[in-house]
Amino acid sequence: MTYKVTEEGNIATVYLNGEIDMDVTEKAKEVIMPLIEAKKEVHLNLKDVEYMDSSGISVLIESHQQATENETKVILKEISKSVLKVIMMAKLEQILNLD
Amino acid sequence: MSFEISQSFKIESASLKEVRVFAREVFKKSTIFEKHTDDLVLALAEAAQNIVKHGYNNQPTEDEMKIIIKFDSNILSMELMDKGKPVVPSNIKPRDLDDIKSGGLGTFFIGQIMDEVVFKTTKINWVNHLILTKAF
Repeated sequence: MTYKVTEEGNIATVYLNGEIDMDVTEKAKEVIMPLIEAKKEVHLNLKDVEYMDSSGISVLIESHQQATENETKVILKEISKSVLKVIMMAKLEQILNLD
Repeated sequence: MSFEISQSFKIESASLKEVRVFAREVFKKSTIFEKHTDDLVLALAEAAQNIVKHGYNNQPTEDEMKIIIKFDSNILSMELMDKGKPVVPSNIKPRDLDDIKSGGLGTFFIGQIMDEVVFKTTKINWVNHLILTKAF
């Protein structure tokens, strides 16, 4: 997994790339959580995420919950077909913020 | 068509990518798997992840896990064997979908994708022997 972060005003966009599994979840959290704790609105761009498993979905859930606690939000942007399929399998499309 | 292919993997999170590559190569053997490859790869990788995470608590080990993918009489079976902490099948519970938390999702995915998930009780040289099957 690789990533890029851009910030504009209070919005931080994290572009994730590659495969998100158990091996990279800590790295993903290290990128995302400080932005949420800084009360940024975090946009996760998932266009280039080719594979995501339950560990990756856990990162999305925990980010969403952390954002709610911090009175901000995480919005999933340009979700790739394979990631959307897993989100829907987990029946989280009504819970996470999908754009 | 029938086949049986096996490979052993180190028990560590970095092996999960290798498990996926292995499975994708196997499923290229027939177009019958084409529409199901992503799901089958996910189910197998989730089961392998459970070995790393729960069987060995993600701790370094010299042990390896063995994966066998078989196809015969239109039944696909994916077997995972390990020598980690013994699994008590009755303790394995998929996530309650109304309870929004991350634990148990992998087991839930496996159950959604596969027709049958069974821990074989008679095994030789292994502690756990999980068999995932799906009919085609």
